[in-house]
Amino acid sequence: MMKDEELVIEARDLTKVFLDFWGRPKVRAVNGIHLDVRRGEIFGLLGPNGSGKSTTIKMILGLLHPTSGQLSVLGQSPRAVSVKSRMGFMPEESYLYKYLTADEILNFYANLYGMTGSAKTERVNALIEQVGLSQARDRRVGEFSKGMARRIGLAQALLNDPDLILLDEPTSGLDPIACREVKDLLLALARQGKTILICSHHLADMQDICSRVAILLQGEVCATGSVQELLSTPDTLKLTLQAPSQTTLMAVLDLLERETGTRPQVDLTGRTLESVYIETVSKRKSAS
Amino acid sequence: MSHYFGKSLTRISALAGLTVRDAARSRLLVSLGGILIIGLIGLPLLISGDNTLTRRLQVILNYTLSFAVTMLSIVTLWTACGGVSSEIQDRRLYLVLTKPVHRYELWLGKWLGIVALNALLLTLTGFIIGIMIWHTLFTSPESETGKRQACEQFLLARQSRLPESPISEKQAQASAAALVKSGRAPAGIDAAQVATELMKELKNARFVIAPTGTVHFTTLITTPLSGINDGLLNYKIESSRPERSPIPALWEIQAAGKKAIHLSVTNYPGLPNRLLIPGAVMKNAPSLTLSYHRLDSSSSATLFMAQNGQEPELLIPSGSWAMNLGRGLLMILCRLAFLSALGLTAGCLLSTPVAVFAAFFIMVLLAMSGYVESVATSGAFYIPHEGHELSKTWLDKVILSQFKGLNRLTQPLLRLDPVPLLEEGRRISWLLTTQAVAWLVGLYTAVTALIGMILFNRRELG
Repeated sequence: MMKDEELVIEARDLTKVFLDFWGRPKVRAVNGIHLDVRRGEIFGLLGPNGSGKSTTIKMILGLLHPTSGQLSVLGQSPRAVSVKSRMGFMPEESYLYKYLTADEILNFYANLYGMTGSAKTERVNALIEQVGLSQARDRRVGEFSKGMARRIGLAQALLNDPDLILLDEPTSGLDPIACREVKDLLLALARQGKTILICSHHLADMQDICSRVAILLQGEVCATGSVQELLSTPDTLKLTLQAPSQTTLMAVLDLLERETGTRPQVDLTGRTLESVYIETVSKRKSAS
Repeated sequence: MSHYFGKSLTRISALAGLTVRDAARSRLLVSLGGILIIGLIGLPLLISGDNTLTRRLQVILNYTLSFAVTMLSIVTLWTACGGVSSEIQDRRLYLVLTKPVHRYELWLGKWLGIVALNALLLTLTGFIIGIMIWHTLFTSPESETGKRQACEQFLLARQSRLPESPISEKQAQASAAALVKSGRAPAGIDAAQVATELMKELKNARFVIAPTGTVHFTTLITTPLSGINDGLLNYKIESSRPERSPIPALWEIQAAGKKAIHLSVTNYPGLPNRLLIPGAVMKNAPSLTLSYHRLDSSSSATLFMAQNGQEPELLIPSGSWAMNLGRGLLMILCRLAFLSALGLTAGCLLSTPVAVFAAFFIMVLLAMSGYVESVATSGAFYIPHEGHELSKTWLDKVILSQFKGLNRLTQPLLRLDPVPLLEEGRRISWLLTTQAVAWLVGLYTAVTALIGMILFNRRELG
């Protein structure tokens, strides 16, 4: 059993330098980063293109070797094959065999995990059901829409019931309902004690589900901490309340202006487009 | 431990299955099968020659097999090179390698998949050749005797028997020692060299045929023959004169204790000859004495039977043609297994186009192994420098040593090529087949695989 606070990913002074043909340093993609990802948390890796996110993920997956520093995944070297049996990875692009059907894809990857017999069949069936591809299980992946390909990508990442799940842009290409479902699924997995590392540009999604994030820039960690810590600033507050009368509102604003020296900003809070969309589509679906 | 091997086997077989499925779904298998069928059936129709039964059988055996082997070699290299490198390029391999898969398992799985594909296509090739031969025989307007003779000539595995040496090695060594001791041998030559020269001279002298002269030689048949199938005598006559006029001659063939038979022939100098020897003559005979009587009294040219690998050779029946083809195809599969390993190893290190180029370069080098051998043994590539005597420069020495090294590497590949043996209807023994498995799979493939796995294991996938 792992301790609650046990570090699932531990990077110390992790550096990756890519060399040119002659062995000379070409690009310092990751530059001495420190990263701690704890068991059961959803950790977001943010940063612009070329900031070193993918290189970091590839080092965690054991596809690239660190130039210097230390990296431990689930207490072992990321290159150890035994670690990979406890990991699941969903890449950004669909790196799947397009000539295989959804069913064949999952069976193939299940074989790679050494799964056989009824345990394999049951797991594959359950995952196809869970990602909503029951109707398309015999269709070739090459014929899938981007959203469907993402779903099958997610299913293969969960085949081995992993302790650590790495997701690269998990909601990209998904419609809002599917996106919500994926986010709910990830939150449920985290509640089960799974550790999730997400790489994404969808900051709203990251804000929704991540417990902690790290922002990478030019191969270095610029900021890290819990989402709440990063979003909260001690001298600014957001107050949400039922709209009072105009007189009361003006009196409160005057009082606050006298206290702080600046006039507070008043906005009308409404529903988000996402909530309207989900509500509308859900109503229509339940009616039909 | 068995649990670990069980899981490993599941992974390897999944990867092998994926490779076969990839070929099948990407239509490679269907296209290649189609090309093989069209080529194997179309080629004999295009090159039917004089349209006789023997000629058609000869074309089927000589061209179709070479065509199939060339096609399969090219496709094997192409598939093997792309097997890993194209999956690295389109990043499908990234996902596979994030699963608990050892890189050697991936290499082995891919290799087994390609070998399984080759086995499938070789079986198809053998099947098509068999059907074509059966169809050619069945639809031929030739008489039953003609068909039987054609089958005797082509559809039988035969073992080679060479004439007995006129002098044993021991006798030659003893004579050479006596010559050296008596001081009659040239100075500076040792007894071993004298013995070699002596044997060579005696062999040459034995095959010289003066006008109206005769040559005799004896061939041992170690295994008693049933006498059902005929034997074949391959021989070639050379002339001391440049003109190529036909030579009438008579072969006298006699087994110990049996009546001799006589076969009239007409030979042309420089051309290979093939004589069918009735099986009844050879039945249970321990040896055959063959005599060639030259009948052209008007010609003054001296004739001699060709030497250096083209001596008269008796081919005696030894097993069925179908089994021989099966063993030959197994040897071809071993060669293709090595090519798969070569392509996969190249693909593990290089991008697809570069890997294909490198692997094809090696394949061409291997195909030229006969040339390499002749250069390595004779040093024939030397070009005398103007105004200088024929002498080796340092560059010549370096190149020659490379050719020699290459020759050592390619010798087993040349020796273990079953295509010429199948084309000539020679028996491919189980020993030779086992040697092919041991050398090509057990050594060449294993070493290439080991190199490939080690380097692939170190490779980063960025």
